Amino acid sequence: MAAVLAAALGVLAWLGLLAVLMRATRTPGIPHTPPTGEFGAESPALVDFLTGGFKLCDEAASATVLDLAARRIVAIEEIGPELSLVRLRSDADADSLNTYERMVFDHVSRLATTDRVVATGALAEGARHLGRWWKNFAKAVRDEARAAGLSEARWTATHRSVLSIGAAVPAVLIGVVLAVFEHGADSDPIGAFLAGSVITWAALVFLQEKVNDERGTLAGARAAGHWFGVQEHLANGRFADQPAAGVTIWGRGLAYAAALGLADRAVVSLPISTPADDGRAWSDYGGMWHLVHVEYRGRGPWGRFVWGRSPGDAVKTGLKAAMVCASPILVLSILATAILGHPDNPITFAIFVTILVAAVPCGLAALDSSSPSTVRGQVIRARAFAQGRNDGYRYWVGVDDGKATRIHAYGVDVQTWNGLAEGDEIEARAGRWLGWMSDVRVVSPSRHRGNPIPADEVTD
Amino acid sequence: MGVLIVLAVLIVLGIVAAVVVVGMYNGLVHKRNAVDNAWAQIDVQCKRRHDLIPNLVETVKGYATHERATFESVTAARTAAVNAQGPVAQAQAENALTAALRSVFAVAEAYPQLQASRNFSELQGELSDTENRIAYSRQYYNDAVLTFNTAAQTVPTNIVAGTFGFEIREFFTAPDSERGAVRVQF
Repeated sequence: MAAVLAAALGVLAWLGLLAVLMRATRTPGIPHTPPTGEFGAESPALVDFLTGGFKLCDEAASATVLDLAARRIVAIEEIGPELSLVRLRSDADADSLNTYERMVFDHVSRLATTDRVVATGALAEGARHLGRWWKNFAKAVRDEARAAGLSEARWTATHRSVLSIGAAVPAVLIGVVLAVFEHGADSDPIGAFLAGSVITWAALVFLQEKVNDERGTLAGARAAGHWFGVQEHLANGRFADQPAAGVTIWGRGLAYAAALGLADRAVVSLPISTPADDGRAWSDYGGMWHLVHVEYRGRGPWGRFVWGRSPGDAVKTGLKAAMVCASPILVLSILATAILGHPDNPITFAIFVTILVAAVPCGLAALDSSSPSTVRGQVIRARAFAQGRNDGYRYWVGVDDGKATRIHAYGVDVQTWNGLAEGDEIEARAGRWLGWMSDVRVVSPSRHRGNPIPADEVTD
Repeated sequence: MGVLIVLAVLIVLGIVAAVVVVGMYNGLVHKRNAVDNAWAQIDVQCKRRHDLIPNLVETVKGYATHERATFESVTAARTAAVNAQGPVAQAQAENALTAALRSVFAVAEAYPQLQASRNFSELQGELSDTENRIAYSRQYYNDAVLTFNTAAQTVPTNIVAGTFGFEIREFFTAPDSERGAVRVQF
């Protein structure tokens, strides 16, 4: 009992030490600054970091695009309410960009077509792994803040040593408790002690590192206070409804307003840190960026059930559906005969409808197998969606052939899906009725994009 | 009592029909405004191009004094484009102007000093960007026209469109050389 009490006290003491150190290392109070229109030397991304509690918020990347436009590295041009362009300036001096600005510039450059243009909505597209890209972006901003003495890691080496070594005490005490309570023929007190100690120590160190976030320095708190003053000043500027192209008029003011959470419309129109939408894809097939809506089902009542399936799978689905529907159809037919007097022979009618349910997919499969058409275009979406709980995934490929702004994605097998990347120009055989694609040949590989998630990494 | 029920049903049906018609009418107005807005964008870009051309001609004239026929053809094409009315005529005039500009840039290739001129290269870049903006504006306009025309021609919106005088719009056609991949190169 004494050992348990000692272990509990040990853990509490360590948690108390952690709490004391956290309080001692918190960000200094941010001073209130009166509203001011004076922009400091910090970039919009850094301002976002300072005013976001020393954490980077989603607006930072969009604000950086606006900042690049304000500094004439790129231009943002409005073509219409739903279409704006980011144009790389031919006379842009990209050498002066810092790490995270360069990341944004490189992303835009990779997406830009030969005429140096990318639609603002298409900024979500691209080959990058968004999670990794954002992590690197945030790290680059944090590094700049640290270099400028505006922020630092919560724990110094001393804090870390004190906490890690201190964690050994409750860990050992818990190990002792486990060793003491280890009874029985197969008991292993030493093993219990070691396991308990190591696991406890690892858990406490994990907790210690979990709370090791970024903290503002005194200079950082002052800078944050200044930027809150700017935020108060800009709040009167009605930036919320300004489009991204408004940067031509407002300059860096709009970029800072975006970083300070005051320019929602401009931020939303520059989805550089947003995952690409499954149903709305931007395609540059044909040389000009355009929006294509992608549907993962076919037309008509059967489109939901058989579209995207191979002919064999469609036949199986039809037979399965017939078996499932047979009983309800029979019951409904009998009820209809009893109440309405039609059909005359409910059993024959039910058999006919059931055969029809099975026959339609079989007929469509036969049509597609006998006369597949050729599709040529650019892969604009490659997606894998779970089907049911334990039925694995269905693999879809949306192909923009330049003829329609609304397309139906084709179903493919996993091998084909793995061999394709978004942006690939392909030629393939595809069924008109089932939407199953086969014999896919890559005519020209993706210029700037890649499959976002390999099939073996797809998880629920 | 029966008459009252019939009357009530007719009134409800009338209200529902009126709401549907108003919805369709407003939808058509929104789509028509989107077309007008998109056309205004083309107009702005075309005007910008027209304004750049006199400077270009003057710059090229300074180096290539003997290319009078080329300058005259560009000037005539510009005048035709400025005076063109409506999408079809405007598209034809702009396409002719693009062809005339290409001939100017072809002429310029024979004059290395002109090629080296900063003013000329800036004008060339500006015209190229403007041409690209026109291409995007055209795509945007044609999408808006397609949306509007589809609504105005399909049942049941076509009844409302016909009743209230919504007329289908003309597409701004691209030059044959720009169909498919668009490569703006002078």
